[in-house]
Amino acid sequence: MDGALKLWVVVAVVGLLNYLSRLSFIAIFARREVPTLLARAFRYVPAAMLTALVLPMVVVIPAQAQASLPRVVAALAAGVVAFYTRSTLWTLATGMLVLWALQLAVAYVG
Amino acid sequence: MRRIVTDSDFREGFVEMLPATLALVPFGLVCGVGAAAAGASLIGAMGLSAIVFSGAAQILAVQLLAAGAPVAVIVLTCFVAGLRFVIYSAAMAPFLRPLPAHWQKTLAFLLTDQAFAVAVQRFHAGGDSHAAGRHFLGSGFSLWLMWQVTNLIGYFAGNLIPAEWSLDFAVPLCFIALVAPHLRTSPTIVAALVAGVGVLAFASLPMKLSLIVAGVAGIVAGTLADFTKERWTAR
Repeated sequence: MDGALKLWVVVAVVGLLNYLSRLSFIAIFARREVPTLLARAFRYVPAAMLTALVLPMVVVIPAQAQASLPRVVAALAAGVVAFYTRSTLWTLATGMLVLWALQLAVAYVG
Repeated sequence: MRRIVTDSDFREGFVEMLPATLALVPFGLVCGVGAAAAGASLIGAMGLSAIVFSGAAQILAVQLLAAGAPVAVIVLTCFVAGLRFVIYSAAMAPFLRPLPAHWQKTLAFLLTDQAFAVAVQRFHAGGDSHAAGRHFLGSGFSLWLMWQVTNLIGYFAGNLIPAEWSLDFAVPLCFIALVAPHLRTSPTIVAALVAGVGVLAFASLPMKLSLIVAGVAGIVAGTLADFTKERWTAR
């Protein structure tokens, strides 16, 4: 498939599926009971999916373990701040500042 | 249209969202950079950000496109990553029930991680649900507009940002801001742990299939932990 066409197919289908996910309960289940098991399972979607999404962006697999150490520490610091403040802005500021400080330290020492 | 734009609740929502949109600037830039790097045309990149309107899905889509993954895999991965919107939808549904159907359908499009957080607070505060709906429209539109601007800037100017700034790290940080506050009950922690260990254990699977496998494993583990916990406390 041609690259541009492939992108548009992805835009259309992912756009539609994302929209249906967003609309799901608002429209379709508005007047219907949600199956209990499904409602239970849905509660754990954010924790599971977001963790699975985040970890590979922070932890680089063994070969470059040392290079990812500053990222791991910065991510942990950001996680603690996020847990207590629930603020994206503070989480972002903490994570970036810790990462920059550690990268500078590594450059200075190394 | 004009009546909505001049509405005080709409404006209030628009302004209230601005600090959160500020935090998403680096994320939007990274998405724009990613689209350009994957060889998307300007219209293609903007179509992606305007229609899909989800940073996680956009990043996954452009990475998988660049890796030459088949459409079915890209669609499935983005869909599973976007399943969290179903939760937001379930949580918003009771608040939006008094609104007309076309309002529900419009607001559903604007339902993102950040808009959800702001809207839930406003609806919980009580009062007129139509006013809260206009507030939601304002905050959602504010976010959508800012997202298009940052994606556009990222598409053109992204490679001017020095690599030493590690701007890409803003992406996991935005998601950490969303997930960390969730980790307050044991089943949620189990779900996160299983998904986290799983995604690293299955990292060698092609086309990011590890994300789906680990995510589903985490959801199942969290649900099982929930039932187990319930049994124990019932005794």
